[in-house]
Amino acid sequence: MKAGVLAIIICAMFMTIALSGCTQQQEEEKPEIKNPTTIVRYDIGDAKTLDPADCYDTASSEPIFSIYDTLVTYKGNDTLTFYPCLATDWTVSNDSLTWTFNLRNNVKFSNGNDFTAEDVKYSLDRVLTMGAPESGVDWILGQCMDTNSTTVIDDYTVQIKLTQSYGGFLALMPYTVAAIVDKDYVEANGGVVAGEENVWMKEHPMGTGPYILDHWTRATEIVLTRNPTYWGGWAGNHPERVVIKYADEAATRILALKNGDADFAYIPYANLEDVSGEKNIVVHPFDSYDVALLAINTKASNNQYLSDGRVRKALSYAFDYNTAIETAWNGYAARLAGAIPKGMPYYDTQNNGQPYYNYDLAMAEQLLDDAGYAKDYELDGTMYRFNGTTLRLFYNAGNSERETMAVMFRAALDDIGILSSIIAEGWPQLLHRMYTTDDWDTMFIGWGPDYNDPDDYIAPFMGSADISQDTYNTGYMNATVDAKILEGKYSADTAVRAAAYKAAYDIYIQEPSFIFLVQRAYIRPWRDWVQNYSYNPVREWYFYDYYKAYP
Amino acid sequence: MKTWEFIVRRLLLLIPVIIGVTIITFTVSHVIPADPARAFAGGPKAQPDVIERITKELHLNEPIWIQYFYYLNDIVHFNLGKSYLESRPVVDSLAQYFPATLELTIFSMLIAIPLGIVGGIISAVRRNKLSDHITRIIAIVGYSLPIFWLALMLQYVFAYQIPILPLEGRLAIGMNAPSSITGLYVIDSIITGNLDTLASSLYHLILPAFTLGFATLALILRMTRSSMLEVMGMDYIRTGRAKGLSERTVIYKHALRNALIPTVTVTGLSFGSLLGGAVLTETIFNWPGMGRFAARAVLGFDFSAVMGFTILVAIIYVVANLIVDILYAVIDPRVKLGGG
Repeated sequence: MKAGVLAIIICAMFMTIALSGCTQQQEEEKPEIKNPTTIVRYDIGDAKTLDPADCYDTASSEPIFSIYDTLVTYKGNDTLTFYPCLATDWTVSNDSLTWTFNLRNNVKFSNGNDFTAEDVKYSLDRVLTMGAPESGVDWILGQCMDTNSTTVIDDYTVQIKLTQSYGGFLALMPYTVAAIVDKDYVEANGGVVAGEENVWMKEHPMGTGPYILDHWTRATEIVLTRNPTYWGGWAGNHPERVVIKYADEAATRILALKNGDADFAYIPYANLEDVSGEKNIVVHPFDSYDVALLAINTKASNNQYLSDGRVRKALSYAFDYNTAIETAWNGYAARLAGAIPKGMPYYDTQNNGQPYYNYDLAMAEQLLDDAGYAKDYELDGTMYRFNGTTLRLFYNAGNSERETMAVMFRAALDDIGILSSIIAEGWPQLLHRMYTTDDWDTMFIGWGPDYNDPDDYIAPFMGSADISQDTYNTGYMNATVDAKILEGKYSADTAVRAAAYKAAYDIYIQEPSFIFLVQRAYIRPWRDWVQNYSYNPVREWYFYDYYKAYP
Repeated sequence: MKTWEFIVRRLLLLIPVIIGVTIITFTVSHVIPADPARAFAGGPKAQPDVIERITKELHLNEPIWIQYFYYLNDIVHFNLGKSYLESRPVVDSLAQYFPATLELTIFSMLIAIPLGIVGGIISAVRRNKLSDHITRIIAIVGYSLPIFWLALMLQYVFAYQIPILPLEGRLAIGMNAPSSITGLYVIDSIITGNLDTLASSLYHLILPAFTLGFATLALILRMTRSSMLEVMGMDYIRTGRAKGLSERTVIYKHALRNALIPTVTVTGLSFGSLLGGAVLTETIFNWPGMGRFAARAVLGFDFSAVMGFTILVAIIYVVANLIVDILYAVIDPRVKLGGG
């Protein structure tokens, strides 16, 4: 009798599940919008700080962008135009050294204080004085500014005199490090101490942006609510609240998106098929500025052949880019022409925006043969080059995309007679290997944007240590390339910059120290009830612009 | 030996245990050539001044034994270092995450202990009958099911297909936590009289507490059943019955008390183990507790956080064992603490 009751309960449960599935399939109408005035985003990783002066990570910059404003900004998916924000307009002197910003009137911080030019000077000087002790992000402003750079002309005019002309200066201004804080508020809460973080500002942000911090529960969520004094106003459709949730498990984020708890969710490439094709969920790839590369150590202690540019060129022909995109990245990536990602200014200076190298093993073999690296070493009946020297492919353990690419590349290297091995290590171990030894040959790495200027991509990869670059310690150095990089960096003339970057690329690509693998697609699947969403690789998440409704 | 002497002696044993744990964790985390300063400072984008500051802060330029000395000195001053992943002191992180795990553990035990003991008694008393078969099946299922699978299935059924329970978290999305008094949301909500938060926190405990409690329930059930079966065959039980004692008195007053010792052992150790962090349950249900913190710290190479966590877990195990030993004496007067 009791067993019968139990059986009935179990059957009823399964039938309910099955019927709910059938019912869902039959329903044509859209589901009810959950939390209609709140935008909820599920992501991984927690913010480290909410102080813009010490923020150098994506998770922290997201809430900061909604709480603070900058002088200029980007809008929608436009990465090529600077739009007014706290500055209404600006001019630059003929020598590109002096920038004058006219500021917006009648702007208040969320605590009711007025925004003035004093706050602009205070904010920029604060970054340079504090020196971003936790993150070191002050380097971005320090490239062309010091504490004497900013001058208050009047309450609503501020002038910035650069320490040296810098073509990317305006592109620094929309970044979080140039967000404007309230001088009185900061001074009342710890002020500025050189070389020390401001603990209060880290957890108690207050700015002129559309939202204010409601609460931040570490490892759980950041909740923002409307700033009633926001200068942009609240007419039209804007969310009342924004919730940024942190969930480490992909399955949890997938279910949150499916059941409508999440409006947006970070889903790894490998799991995208779990939400692709789902009703009410939009999966749309955008071009991000995130690039994947293979760094080649030109001064590798175990592999002197890598110092030969012809070998590095051959390696660039030996990588199967398109297969990597399909297998390692599930198709969510694109070819990369050079250091500058697609969408960024001056992208076309790189071989007219077309990849210079394509997968061509015959060409790779020809180059190696011509360079005199014949297959003259026999191992188990197979002939290899470089006297059997093994080319080691390092990647950080746990990174499945890099692992797949390494396996693919190894097979191709074998085909052209290069012995190779794959080594996975923890990130701190790889950093130790890369920066304190020459005991590495190649390493899979990635790079994301600091700000929207090619100098942030060209210089770290193509520049040498002589100009304080060579970020990945590859040992590459070409004096002409260095000179051209500096010429592009310090000119505000777009034609001069374009010519300089093209010249640098044309030389560098003949003896590259990186294989430019792919440009990753950015995908944050979202519920179709979210309206007005657009992705900008420089500045993500304009929550103020979004709203929830069915069209 | 008096009870208090026994407790003090056992607590003093914590000192060598902690020293041992720190030596092992410190050596393991420092012996591999690595560049933690650069990793914490942002990897390839790290600025030299930040790397230098972190190197100095962690004494990375000193020999390893000097580094260990500094670490030990910090521990004595209740400083477990800084979590670079969270950019705050490890002590602050543990203070936030431990109560979350404690709350989850208590509620999972509230499910596991009564159901496990009652199930075990029923199973033993009604041996080879339908109820015995059912409870044994529950025990086997509970013990064999991978906890992550159970968690994912419960989420899928009760938060997606039949959405009657929350998917994850400690509170409803965007809800403010109660003022932190104990860090246990249920208790804090009661103290502050916040009924909405109380309801939400209880509601959010159901799935993770059940998931976590299920395996422990199975363990307790199996242990209680086998102990009860053993005890029920004893002469004094037969004597009790012959004396005309009611079956209820025989079972609950005479048999159960004697059968509880092994159950208390596994319960105590399970409690300690769960307090040490239920990594999978916490990660899947997005429960901001110790297990999730430890997992993130390990994956993020946050050595200070890992070491802080390990020390706390060692303390928890020692204390849990101590409590189990004391409970032996409470349950069975024949047991003398300290063997005296």
